Amino acid sequence: MAVYRRSRRNRFFLVLLALTSVTVLTLDYRGAGDGALESVRQTARDAFAPLQSAADWVVSPITGFFGSVGEFGDLRSENARLRRELDEARAEAIRGADADRERQRLLQLQGLDYAGGLDSVPARVISTAPTNFQLTITLDKGSDARVDVGMPVVTDAGLVGRVTEVSKLRSTVLLITDPQSNVGVRLANSGEHGVARGAGTNNPLPLDLITTEVPVEVGEPVVTSGLERGLFPAQVPLGRVRTVSAAPGALQKDILLDPSVDLTRLEFVRVLLWKPAK
Amino acid sequence: MRKDPRFRLPIMFIAALLLQTTVLARLRVWGVMPDFMLLVAVAGGITAGPTRGATLGFASGLLIDLFLPTPLGLSALVFTLVGYGVGVANTGVLRSAWYIPVLTAAGGSVAGVVLYALIGSVLGERMIDGHLATIAVVVGVSNAVLAPVAVKFVDWSLGSLKSSTNISV
Repeated sequence: MAVYRRSRRNRFFLVLLALTSVTVLTLDYRGAGDGALESVRQTARDAFAPLQSAADWVVSPITGFFGSVGEFGDLRSENARLRRELDEARAEAIRGADADRERQRLLQLQGLDYAGGLDSVPARVISTAPTNFQLTITLDKGSDARVDVGMPVVTDAGLVGRVTEVSKLRSTVLLITDPQSNVGVRLANSGEHGVARGAGTNNPLPLDLITTEVPVEVGEPVVTSGLERGLFPAQVPLGRVRTVSAAPGALQKDILLDPSVDLTRLEFVRVLLWKPAK
Repeated sequence: MRKDPRFRLPIMFIAALLLQTTVLARLRVWGVMPDFMLLVAVAGGITAGPTRGATLGFASGLLIDLFLPTPLGLSALVFTLVGYGVGVANTGVLRSAWYIPVLTAAGGSVAGVVLYALIGSVLGERMIDGHLATIAVVVGVSNAVLAPVAVKFVDWSLGSLKSSTNISV
């Protein structure tokens, strides 16, 4: 009898907690962003931020050490390779600067905007979000540093993602490799527009909507298209074409892109102070 | 006073949250990290039965929800069910062999991940794809490895709360 009563009480308790969760879930879902629950969430994140930073400061050399034990030998050859690449890049930059000046003038003449001229906020990547289901990173800058939802995040190499959540001291960025991410892009050679879709960590990004007639080369650069009402400004490098193929009878080519940024080893990024037009 | 769970439980939750967001978030295998907050729910079910397991699961789920991009309450719901389920499954296997909690942690964690993806998909998050199997396996195995520590930790945090349930369960 006692056992019976006990298990009934247990079940009542379970139902109570489950219903509470569902209620919170519903409220958060309906509130969609600016409800009271969202402010609770932001407050909690900001309150936890200093503690997290302190723990991160203690822990990062340790995890960094474990991560780098196996890499030491590679670093020497990588260093030599990077030096060589830097020299090449310097030469390239000089050539590019001239062309860029010319292009800037043309853009100015036509009244177009240019991603390279946007203001940005530098930020440090604190951690990846504590979830296995979304590819996000947490930055150490929030609305106090003028970061806002919807802003693109880049490194010097190219596009990283887009800010999806922001509190006073922290912001969350959805990476371009996340399956929920879609980026409007343009092939550099043909100027053809497509959509680069995320396919998970370490996976190349499939590029959709390129018809079979369009010539596409392996290694061809891909940049954001910045079409009107797009989520990203124009001309931010996204990556290069890795493979191209076309199934017989298909309407579009199967194209895979390599992102130009190493998204698994991000440390510093820039948040572009640019918001998509509503 | 010394065994007062009013002091120990907050310490446990904050330590678990710090561990999850700083250390474990960096230790990823195939992009997947262990889920210590889920493990708190499992350990609660193992050490203190269904009711306390569900309560601990609810609390740890709600806590981690505050730091996730997914809707608030999703982890709370899943972890509540997992804590309760583990508690029911483990009733009567008190003081059993060491591998029972380890296997329970593996099973409970896999169930938690799958349930999370299922309910998340109902809410319109894109969670069920080929990667789900990887997540379930990695979380299951890594949580099983962490299980003995988590069980001791949660057991400690419950302090005097736990003894009253252990007798009657």
